[in-house]
Amino acid sequence: MYAIEANNLSKKYGEKVVVNNLNLRVREGSIFGFLGKNGAGKSTFINMITGLISPTSGSFKLFGDSKYSNKDIYTKIGVLPDYSTFYEHLTALEHLKYFSKILGLSLTKDEMINILRLVELEDSANLKAGKFSFGMKKRLGIAQALINNPRILFLDEPTSGVDANAALNIHSLIKNIAKQGTTIFLTSHNLDEVEKLCDDIAIMDQGVIKIQGSMEELRNEYNNSITLYVKHSKVLEEQKKWLEKNLLSLAKSLKVGYTNTELILDNEETIASVNKLFLSKDINVYRLEVDEPSLEEIFININVGKHTA
Amino acid sequence: MFTICFREFKDLFKSIRSIIIILTIFGVTLGVAKLISQFGGPVKSLGLGSNAYAGGLLTLLLIAGPLFVTSLSHNIINQELHSRTIRFLATKTSRDKIVLGKFLGIILFWVICLFIALLLVIPFSKAFYFLEFIQAVIFISYFVGLTILISTLITKPSITMFLGIAIALAMPVLGIWSMVSENIFLKITSHITPYFYYTQETTSYTYLVVLFPLIFLALSLLIMRKKEL
Repeated sequence: MYAIEANNLSKKYGEKVVVNNLNLRVREGSIFGFLGKNGAGKSTFINMITGLISPTSGSFKLFGDSKYSNKDIYTKIGVLPDYSTFYEHLTALEHLKYFSKILGLSLTKDEMINILRLVELEDSANLKAGKFSFGMKKRLGIAQALINNPRILFLDEPTSGVDANAALNIHSLIKNIAKQGTTIFLTSHNLDEVEKLCDDIAIMDQGVIKIQGSMEELRNEYNNSITLYVKHSKVLEEQKKWLEKNLLSLAKSLKVGYTNTELILDNEETIASVNKLFLSKDINVYRLEVDEPSLEEIFININVGKHTA
Repeated sequence: MFTICFREFKDLFKSIRSIIIILTIFGVTLGVAKLISQFGGPVKSLGLGSNAYAGGLLTLLLIAGPLFVTSLSHNIINQELHSRTIRFLATKTSRDKIVLGKFLGIILFWVICLFIALLLVIPFSKAFYFLEFIQAVIFISYFVGLTILISTLITKPSITMFLGIAIALAMPVLGIWSMVSENIFLKITSHITPYFYYTQETTSYTYLVVLFPLIFLALSLLIMRKKEL
């Protein structure tokens, strides 16, 4: 079963199409990264799925049920909206108590403190939200999204505005939550974060999904070339020419140096052949480094139109 | 729904506003009662109650009730929309329950305030005016419903504050003016204000006013369901 199934989902504001016939499947239990530039339609998509706005056309299902036909959907989802403001006169603990009661849950104080501990806010449990920094509000936003132990967690920019340490902790929190079987739908501008955390990724641009799949699939679809850096023992001029001649059959392009060689290969399987070739000429290989196209490279290229999905 | 109701009630009640309102109702009820007792006949003919204390309470509410309600609750919905805290609520419960919870929370606040004020009057009046209490709650519920509707329709709290105060000042004037005016437009308009029903000889007319907050509430729910959060 899919956690999310969106079918031809569209949202228009007047003539402006923000989300255009979007089809998306999110596997249950996966961490799904949703990427796109500002205005690409990411938040609009989340807002439709979480019921904050209505689609202009199309439909979606959460765990096989249409959202509006399933009244207990609120107990299944946790949402960190893109913009987190709280009731300034309520403390962090009072917020969790209020939200959990709305959901019909009766959490004990210890259980709520445990949730605050997960986002490192246990020391601020009795501090009013009006005194919270932006990063603390973000973490309280994550805490309130966790109170119902949701089956799917929507996190819209969970680490924006938080310091590096807190971001790392949020990353490990996301991984731990996912390990318990919760599906996580994550939008972020931080491409490294998405690359590091997500099982599946979709890149959205101007209301449509340009590319979707696992990181591996994205690399294959975008560009299956890898760059191999070889650090080796010093070669003589004759060996260098031999390498240039023989490596050419394995590599798309190459640059042979006296101690370092750089090759563009079609796939990882060729690396072993390259290594053998060096050894056959009694050239010691000290280090092999593989550089695959990063998500950032894929993202940039897709958005400048070098790729057609 | 009840969680939202009790939160709304608690937020309203725990502030100094509740004490001010209770003391105002209590003080003005006693003060007006003294005046009414001197001019009992004409006041009774205006439908302000058969008793000086009850008349005092109703006079205060008829004149200042709308202002009390709108000044306290003009931003009951749109503050949540403006600050976007509504997003936390709307992803945890239905929009209907949010609106109904808030409506009930304000009503509960007024029920408690009026009840306490009337309890405080007992040593002087030697009676608890249950019927007038119900009429007062119905009258207040008209403006609670109207305030919820305005707050759902208009997103900016600053505008609803201005509009709420304007309506609170204009409504009693319009209502009372329509009673004495022969202007056909005013006569027709008076039917949509609670003043028409509260100045009829038969007190059962006042119960018809219950329909208005129900209509306002139904409209608010319809608007809220379609609102983009």
